Amino acid sequence: MIIRQHLARTGSRALVRSSSHPLRRFLSAETDARHVSADDSIKQLHTLDTQLDTPSLPPASTNDSHTHPSATPAQLSAQVAEQYHQFKKQQQLIGKLGSDITPHYQPHTLLNNPPSPADVTLELLLASEAHQGHATSIWNPANARYIHGIRQGTHIISLEVTAAHLRRAAKVVQEVSRRAGMVLFVGTRDGQDRAVVRAAELAKGYHLFERWIPGSITNGQQILGRCKTKVVNEKDVEIDGFDEQLWGRPVLRPDLVVCLNPLENYVLLHECALNNIPTIGVIDTNADPTWVTYPIPANDDSLRCIQVIAGVLGRAGELGQKARLAAAERGEVVYSPAKGLVLPGDEDKAAADTSAREQLSPDEQQKLDEGIVDPDDLATMLDEAAHHEGKAKSDRIKVVS
Amino acid sequence: MGRYDLRALRVRQTAKALFDSKRNRELPQWYNIVGDIPPGETLARPVLRIPQIKGRAKKPSRLFQPLAIHHPEDKLREDFFGDHPWELARPRLVVEDSGNDSKRYDWSKMVQPGKQLDGESVVQRQLWLMKHANLSKPAAYDLARKEFYQHRHLEDVRRRVAKEEAMHTGAYFAKGPLEVGMELEDKMWEGWKTWAQQQIDDEESMRSQMMSAPQAGAGADADMDAALDDAQEAVPQAREGQGVRVRA
Repeated sequence: MIIRQHLARTGSRALVRSSSHPLRRFLSAETDARHVSADDSIKQLHTLDTQLDTPSLPPASTNDSHTHPSATPAQLSAQVAEQYHQFKKQQQLIGKLGSDITPHYQPHTLLNNPPSPADVTLELLLASEAHQGHATSIWNPANARYIHGIRQGTHIISLEVTAAHLRRAAKVVQEVSRRAGMVLFVGTRDGQDRAVVRAAELAKGYHLFERWIPGSITNGQQILGRCKTKVVNEKDVEIDGFDEQLWGRPVLRPDLVVCLNPLENYVLLHECALNNIPTIGVIDTNADPTWVTYPIPANDDSLRCIQVIAGVLGRAGELGQKARLAAAERGEVVYSPAKGLVLPGDEDKAAADTSAREQLSPDEQQKLDEGIVDPDDLATMLDEAAHHEGKAKSDRIKVVS
Repeated sequence: MGRYDLRALRVRQTAKALFDSKRNRELPQWYNIVGDIPPGETLARPVLRIPQIKGRAKKPSRLFQPLAIHHPEDKLREDFFGDHPWELARPRLVVEDSGNDSKRYDWSKMVQPGKQLDGESVVQRQLWLMKHANLSKPAAYDLARKEFYQHRHLEDVRRRVAKEEAMHTGAYFAKGPLEVGMELEDKMWEGWKTWAQQQIDDEESMRSQMMSAPQAGAGADADMDAALDDAQEAVPQAREGQGVRVRA
């Protein structure tokens, strides 16, 4: 209302008046004797926008055209630079004024900047309510080791145990990522999706936040058989030309599964157990710790707790991936290459190898399979190890989706 | 399998067995990792936490179960909220900033920056007084409680002044939830009254249509009243006849 009155009083003057330093006055904090109308300020902002967007064109605004009738692009950019300089100066001058906000909990920071395994403290876990278990009547006695006590009818999880198990799980994720393993992050409850995706993004892993399709591992050829896969080298650069060879290969399986809500994902964990895949799971007091390989006893109903755990595991994966890529820069390959793939140019050689191999006796074939090689081959292998650059390209490839 | 499915815990042993029996041509990538960082003892029995008491020992089946956690301020909380049950109905902020929030508080004063004033303040202040000012439990409770009332009163004053200031500078406040609810209730009540009147009218008109004879309506009543008036003067024991109708 005040602005409207002001406008009625000074609007006509403000429309007529033109200013040579529009932004400076707009940013000034000191009380000006002259009246500033909101309308004028908006027009100045528009002018600045136009200048920033189209530095090579003359400004389209009529307000500006009569102020600067013949402004060249160089003059304009100088003006913008001056205004920006003024803005920064003002910011330096008055930016620190006002009340001082003490550090406080901001929910988005757990997603934007998740804590690393070194940042895990008991206070952080306490603040994220990792200690709250379920009612004592629905506990699983297998969790008795992780429970600190009973408070008002609920079990309280021991935070020391939580921190120890979380660090151990983070170490596992880090090591698996360092050896280029596939890590799958699963969290299918409402609100867990962003944490899951963020963790997978950090660890360069894979995420699932909707529903595990039963049989994706045990019956993977039917369910995931048509999913696209690609071949990459040790620096994660895709190599083309493998499309025909990738057709009909067995589907990919994760090397490690991180499940944030095991209670709803029993089928997934069972399939992992059947197929001998290690799993990490957040085990509340009502969950069964034998479903997973590495339990993390914590509250799986608190989103803050889930974000902390997913963030820590994601950060651990990030550390591992960085170590792997650093090793790749040095020319070291930390994983065993994909079997049965031939580089697009080497088909003839591979065919010749196969025919030569078929001429060998079964015993010799088995020796080749088991990696027992003769001294000459060993010498060449040692040579190659000495000159990493000379290592065969086909020893560095792996299949990812 | 038995009762427990331990396959998830034994992935490494299984991988080794599959490799040894030549089912798998190579060990998985994580084989050494799981060997270096083994899973914990998942199904081990917890340590015994209950002290051995002669006489009334706990049932053997409950020996390894978790124990209840007790704090010294539990009784104080119980007392305060027993005396002030409506304090529990107030909305309360339970989100912690860093987990170290309570370390900033200094309970030599009632009001803490960054913490709302509630029953917990009274309990902590009482505890502090008992510990540092050597007050007895009832004396500390009395002191803390009265400080709490004083600060609640100041909060009310502050709120009222803030509203007055805001209204003075042109703010206006919309109807509160109670007023809105009352309006809705009134509207519904009025609607029901018109509906009920309509029902009565309809019924009466239907009845008048059904009966051909004239109803004992306004005319009959008037006749009856006139007859009663006449009769009352002649009956001295009648209630309305005694001294009411004094005719000049």
